[in-house]
Amino acid sequence: MKNLVKVTFIVLFFTTLGHAQGFDVKATGVQTFSFADQSSRNQAAFHSTTPFEEINGLTTQIEGKVTFDVIDFANTLKGQFTIPVASLKTGIEKMEKDLRSSSWLDAEKYPTITFKITKATNVQKISPNKLSADVIGDFTLHGVTKEITTKDTVTYLDENEMTRARMPGDLLGILSSFDIQLSDFNVEHLLLGKRVSNDIQIKVNLVGTNKF
Amino acid sequence: MNKNQKRTIIIGLIIITAAVVIWLISGGEIFTKTQVLIEKKDELFGTTYKEWQNKFIWGLDLTLIISGVTVLVSGILFFIFKKKGRDEKPS
Repeated sequence: MKNLVKVTFIVLFFTTLGHAQGFDVKATGVQTFSFADQSSRNQAAFHSTTPFEEINGLTTQIEGKVTFDVIDFANTLKGQFTIPVASLKTGIEKMEKDLRSSSWLDAEKYPTITFKITKATNVQKISPNKLSADVIGDFTLHGVTKEITTKDTVTYLDENEMTRARMPGDLLGILSSFDIQLSDFNVEHLLLGKRVSNDIQIKVNLVGTNKF
Repeated sequence: MNKNQKRTIIIGLIIITAAVVIWLISGGEIFTKTQVLIEKKDELFGTTYKEWQNKFIWGLDLTLIISGVTVLVSGILFFIFKKKGRDEKPS
């Protein structure tokens, strides 16, 4: 009897642990979400602040896919996103031109910024359909690839009347934030550290669908 | 200084002052902007996201350009009026 209780407890423990690593939603198995958004809703915002100047910018041209097993998000998450460098906007025409030039991000030589997910760690369940996680991946900018960790909140919405008004299929919302140092990616300029901060804060807000 | 020269300086100063005041009222931005970021709410996910809104913001760069052009034009007019004043002086 004691052994039966022990075994039951161990099974329940690992089952709970497994569920804590995934979503409690209608969908089952491996799901792939596409983030090819036509309405400019998907975006990455970047922010630089120095005593001389504050720069806020945005791109709405993010494309990508993520794949994961619904009940085992932590161990199965894979994906990749790309952003065209030429899509970065600051609201100031001259600044956008400079940003694309060879003095800064060199859009002609390095036309895209990519983030390739390698794993998710520290996955915590906030609610049955919402997880927080540290997502680790390879970030490529200006021809240099570096491993970075992003702080993410991921929300899974089963398809319903409200979600269908946005897009068909189940929806996945991703909020992600991370910082990068431009000097780590061989971006060198006299104004770095003066008018443009070396530390850039990035916030990403995406909505994807599994019906594409 | 003749009347026209004085008038030129006063008008020039008024234009430069107006440019500086408009710049300060517009928020004292370094660069002139044609679009600004506004926050919007995503009701479905309960999150906020940003959108570009067309809005002209007067920057210091525009103020300096206007001031520079005003100084240049005022300077030329000042010189022209000085010459005219000398030519019109009764002998």
